[in-house]
Amino acid sequence: MEANIFILRSGLYGGANMRELVEFGIDELGKKDIQYGDFRLSEINTEVINVKNGTVEAIKSSESKGYGIRIIDGGWGFASSADFTESGVKETIKRARKIARASSKASDTIKLEDIEIHQDSYSTPYKKDPFKVELEEKLDYLMEVNERMDIDDRIKVRKCNFNAWKTKKYFASTEGAKIEQELLKTGGGLDVNVSDGEDTQKRSYPNSFGGDFNSRGYEFFENLELLEHAEETAKEGVDLLDAKQCPEGEMDIILNTNQLALQVHESCGHPTELDRALGTEASYAGTSFMTPEKLGELQYGSDIVNIVSDPTAEGGLGTFGYDDEGVKARKIDLIKSGMFVGYQASREDAAKTGVEVSSSMRADGWKNLPIVRMTNINLQPGDWSKEEIVEETDKGIIFDGIKSWSIDDKRLNFQFGTEAGYLVEDGEVIKLIKNPTYTGITYEFWRNCDAIAGEDEWILHGVPNCGKGEPPQTMQVGHGCAPSRFKDIRVGVGKW
Amino acid sequence: MVGSEEKFKNISDKVMKEAEADEVEVRIIKSNNALTRYANSQIHQNIGQEDVDISIRAVFGKKTGAASTNSLEERSVKNCLSKAETIAINQKSDPDFKGLPKPKEGKKAREDYVENTAEFTPDERAEKVKEIIEMARNEGVDRVYGAFQTEVQNLFVANSHGVQKFSRFTSANLTTTAIADWDNDQGFGWSESCSADVRDIDHMQVGRTAVEKGLNNMDTKKIDLGEYDVVLEPLAVQSILMYMDMMGFSAKKVQEERSFMKGKFGDKIMDERVNIYDDVSNADMIGYPFDYEGVPKEKVEIIKDGVANKVVYDSYTAGREKNKESTGHALPMPNPMSPLAMNLLMDTGDYSQEEMIEETDKGILVTRFNYCRPVHPVKSILTGLTRDGTWLIEDGEIKHPLNNLRFTQNLIEAFNNIEGIGKERKLFAMGFYPAYFSVPALKINDFDFTGTTEF
Repeated sequence: MEANIFILRSGLYGGANMRELVEFGIDELGKKDIQYGDFRLSEINTEVINVKNGTVEAIKSSESKGYGIRIIDGGWGFASSADFTESGVKETIKRARKIARASSKASDTIKLEDIEIHQDSYSTPYKKDPFKVELEEKLDYLMEVNERMDIDDRIKVRKCNFNAWKTKKYFASTEGAKIEQELLKTGGGLDVNVSDGEDTQKRSYPNSFGGDFNSRGYEFFENLELLEHAEETAKEGVDLLDAKQCPEGEMDIILNTNQLALQVHESCGHPTELDRALGTEASYAGTSFMTPEKLGELQYGSDIVNIVSDPTAEGGLGTFGYDDEGVKARKIDLIKSGMFVGYQASREDAAKTGVEVSSSMRADGWKNLPIVRMTNINLQPGDWSKEEIVEETDKGIIFDGIKSWSIDDKRLNFQFGTEAGYLVEDGEVIKLIKNPTYTGITYEFWRNCDAIAGEDEWILHGVPNCGKGEPPQTMQVGHGCAPSRFKDIRVGVGKW
Repeated sequence: MVGSEEKFKNISDKVMKEAEADEVEVRIIKSNNALTRYANSQIHQNIGQEDVDISIRAVFGKKTGAASTNSLEERSVKNCLSKAETIAINQKSDPDFKGLPKPKEGKKAREDYVENTAEFTPDERAEKVKEIIEMARNEGVDRVYGAFQTEVQNLFVANSHGVQKFSRFTSANLTTTAIADWDNDQGFGWSESCSADVRDIDHMQVGRTAVEKGLNNMDTKKIDLGEYDVVLEPLAVQSILMYMDMMGFSAKKVQEERSFMKGKFGDKIMDERVNIYDDVSNADMIGYPFDYEGVPKEKVEIIKDGVANKVVYDSYTAGREKNKESTGHALPMPNPMSPLAMNLLMDTGDYSQEEMIEETDKGILVTRFNYCRPVHPVKSILTGLTRDGTWLIEDGEIKHPLNNLRFTQNLIEAFNNIEGIGKERKLFAMGFYPAYFSVPALKINDFDFTGTTEF
């Protein structure tokens, strides 16, 4: 059996060895008569702790190492492997090239937009490494949080969780790029499911999908203050059972940041992905109503709506130094004063269309091919406060906590439901309502945005489960926003 | 690719020998995945993936810990065992955990492994895709999209009680979307085919169906919102059944009062012709004969003659009830989604799709649904949109294509309003986990459309 070259050369897994393997791989790629090649090696460590109903549902530690090779040789080829032997690397290159040659049967000439080539490194800034915090400490804390939620017999499930991811990435290309990155992400949350035998409701903090997540250390998890929010979240879950059903009709709605983050994600993030607009996701995720001829022409939202793609945003779940084709992280405008002005674009799609490369190509782990993914898609703050927005609302609903989300394959017709709603009348919050839903058409909805809260209430949320691509890839993305109001929106959809 | 049944057994034997835990489980999943994607009648992504995942579950009393690695190196596996044991030692006791499963024999002997699928090459995939592209061009459709995927899945599970099982299967899946009029953003059509044997995939038929649907889906019109009779093609049925599965067919959801089946066992909740069951041994199904804990998958008749009958269990949820055994539906543990029915079938009826349309005075024909999501799981309310071909039916004939529509519908009510069940069923891959559904077309009355879109 052939020795693993990491072990052969220094006897240890670690940065120096990973670097050597990447250099070996890129040297081998350089010997081939190909248009382009890149070699991306990742080592991913994860830790998850789920506590449910006073017991630990899961504690799991995972590690995964491997590499993916992209080649252009008449067409695109990609192969990935966890075989770290020299012959394994050579074999994977051979496989990627064979696939590229097969692609050439039905492929036009591929051109990549020129970029600045970097040899650099980047690390997530953090204070406290979550992987170095004692397991017992994390577990004891979650058990206490879980106990704090145990306030009523109608609470059937009470859960809380901690998650951390650490990824070391090495990227090299036949153009001369050599980039090393260490990315750290941390987060957690809590939720309850309540039932009185007739109805069932759910309430979570700080959001659904397991809470909130950032590119920060353990300090982010501590600052979530789960213990301080456990009881009030559980209580509101129980209160939802007796709350009135969301009314039907048309009224103003105010989205809290946890729901607005998803609204931005689905109705601006996805449709401004250039690969979708060009049709390359047509058979799976869908296309986009924001097609290239509308760039600079489409009034997407009201003139207070400004949305950016910003992988440089401090702490964002979609923050990094370089994307997975070696493009340095950069902030770009997608929507400026309500106008559609920019795309999230790969080097290939930028070359096809003339739009700017946006540093948006990312892969789920080492095994998958990089595709255009959201970074941090942020709605810029406005000049209201949430208090002022509520005060100046005659009749409306505040939506909080993601529960149900659906949108068509061009990203036009959407329908969202949240865990809780708060009815507003004559500038005051009147009561809690359950099963709140709202629906609309993307550009009509954003054109009706007439108030956005300011920087003080702006929060950069993390969405850890964005799905796209075939085979399906899951990506961690960020969305910053402040509470905002939308006029004359249809609420209370369906029969209850 | 490194790794074979024998190697997995050797790794497992070493782990069992070195483990200090009271109980230990070794699970190894090895997958080879090849996929050619095409868009705008060009191959734009083409991949080959190989990976292996070794997971170890260690148990001390009622405390469990789990760790995983994708390295088969002895040192990595040892490290993985050590992590799992350390976690378990620092874990809290779970009184509901009744131990890892004991050995049990199952009835499915068939292995759904087809060499032709496993050995299918990138050149062969590209050739088939090229033929679809050329056929579409000849029909006047310059833009087709889709993916041709072949995969090999291997699963080895062993535990310290003597469970030791290995199985593998292959799967081939081809999808085609046609966009007949890209410039005017219209003419969407879809088709797909799935089988363990790549030779069963009639790629030209898949392509032709998508192109035909696309060409017949131009100049769509809007329709008033409200309740309509619908003819749902099998893929549309699969989409809503998948959510019914996730919302209701698991013992965990019932135990936590989050399933629409809770409190309904023995009651007739759907039309009496509805039979839904999980059965990997069925000839129309593919998959592993045992679950991720090594427990043989039993046939579970979930909805029997319209009556809420049973749900699926893993060893943990079985341990929470008296005299209950796992039905063999565990996901890779620990897993908040486990158990899950992953080989669902629905019994056929006696209608052809043509007959369903002929017997419809006014209704809607749906090719498939997009982005379905539960609105209220316990009330079984689901929302989603039609996609890639929706037509108005009037007086037993297809009249014209429609703009896509959003439904917001109680699924239990819908399955009570079934008028006809298709006489053939079709196999679909679920898209995550190796899960498969085999379902017929359905005609359902009074399906509630609550919104429409612009195309």
